[in-house]
Amino acid sequence: MNCFVKILANKLFALAIFVGVGIWLLVIPALIGGLGANPVEKLLHQSGEIAIWTLGAVLALSPLRVLFPRSRVVGALNRHRRVVGVSACVYGLLHFACHVLYEGDLDDLERSLSKPFIWFGAAGLSILIALALTSNNWSIRALGGKNWKLLHRLAYIAAALLMYHQSIAGKGHWQIARWLLFPLAALQIARVTKTLLTKCDRTRSSMAAFRKVATPS
Amino acid sequence: MEREKPRTNCAHRSWDLADSLVTPEPYYLRRREFLRVFGLGLAASALLPPAIRAEPADLNDSLNPVFKLDGVKLTPEDLVTSYNNFYEWGLAKDQPKDQANRGWKTRPWSIEIGGLCANPRKIDVDELIQLLGPTERRNYRHRCVEAWSMVIPWDGFPLAKLVDLARPKPEAKYVKFSSFFDPANCPEQRSHDFPWPYTEGLTLPEAMNELAFIAVGLYGKPLRNQNGAPLRLVVPWKYGFKSAKSLAKIEFVAEQPKTLWNQLAPNEYGFYANVNPNVDHPRWSQKSERMIGAGFFSGKQPTLMFNGYEKQVAHLYTGMDLRKNF
Repeated sequence: MNCFVKILANKLFALAIFVGVGIWLLVIPALIGGLGANPVEKLLHQSGEIAIWTLGAVLALSPLRVLFPRSRVVGALNRHRRVVGVSACVYGLLHFACHVLYEGDLDDLERSLSKPFIWFGAAGLSILIALALTSNNWSIRALGGKNWKLLHRLAYIAAALLMYHQSIAGKGHWQIARWLLFPLAALQIARVTKTLLTKCDRTRSSMAAFRKVATPS
Repeated sequence: MEREKPRTNCAHRSWDLADSLVTPEPYYLRRREFLRVFGLGLAASALLPPAIRAEPADLNDSLNPVFKLDGVKLTPEDLVTSYNNFYEWGLAKDQPKDQANRGWKTRPWSIEIGGLCANPRKIDVDELIQLLGPTERRNYRHRCVEAWSMVIPWDGFPLAKLVDLARPKPEAKYVKFSSFFDPANCPEQRSHDFPWPYTEGLTLPEAMNELAFIAVGLYGKPLRNQNGAPLRLVVPWKYGFKSAKSLAKIEFVAEQPKTLWNQLAPNEYGFYANVNPNVDHPRWSQKSERMIGAGFFSGKQPTLMFNGYEKQVAHLYTGMDLRKNF
């Protein structure tokens, strides 16, 4: 268990996982011709899928920490939030590059820019880029912890935009988006409920303590 | 009587056989019966109609020169049979190839022809092919509403032949096509995401147009399950989703039938669904299309009005606002 947690907590291990996913699902299939009948489309969908699941993973990390504060596995995974978040952005950029390749020429690219699903994707990706650029320690210091945290809450908005982007990008794709939406929403609801309950508890106990002090003996 | 000696000292000779290797006597005595039955079966299988044998025979039809599509390259067969929108067998395009071939039986298959017609019937698909055949080959452009395209050599017969066989009554104005409905063997059909079975429809004049086709084969071989075996509709001037697969029922009706994609998103998938580069899908452009198999850096090619079949079908829609009746 100890060894397992140590491996999980290793930064290099996390990096290897997120680079490995890309090599396994994008690079190797491209090299061995395993992308099927419409290779550019496959790359486009695959990279987008990796990006959104990676974003989902990073958004699952902090609720898990609130819900299981003593779990060492959750603690180890929470060390990798930066790597996971930046990976989501990198795969998002790769996805955009595939879109340019897919459209083929400027005319088609321009036409695609007039479509709402592109706007949602572009807005979500812009947020991810901003967050990736401010993910370094220097930015945290420059912005101050509170502001930085507030800024990085934009990740939730990015996720909402990108899930909508995915669900309207194709024919009948809402089926795929919900596999990510429902678990994430459930985690968030559980987290908020727990936070509120602990707050309530704390207020009640401090009220009780106050009354004890205030009552004349 | 001498008692058997214990075998402890018995040396095994080279010709000794283990008991497990000896054929039991009852089987040995019935060896000729086995040969007789097995041999008869083998001989009989040669006499079976080709469709019942495991490896289906080629269709042996010839290309109709009217539908040759000069100067257009056919999409390779392995791409046509591995890139399929067939949501009954998975939402991803590479799923039907596997999932439709895990024991789904498309033979024997009966198809019901009914509704407002003088000659309704329920008929086995091979009988129907015999009745309407011989089949012919046609190279058709195929344009998906998702903005990709192929060129496919279909084998089959004109839909008009089937309509003539059914003899629709004067009050029949539309033809409704229903795909198979078999939730016991098709897991996707047990979910309620889509109003199964898949349904599509054409106006009667559209169904009588020379281009409307019933395909029973592709590249000269019987249709593979993932392509809509045993028979499917092909209407090349409309988006691919109009060409319903694995048909179980064809009905003549007076009212415009409800169709699956139109029910799900009426603002995106119209009843007519004619290929039209000037009317965009609300979420993406229809001006151009990606040709499957054209290569990694090929980009897109312009989409043609009525998918290039304007001469044959434009008259069906004269005076109609194609923006409204998309």
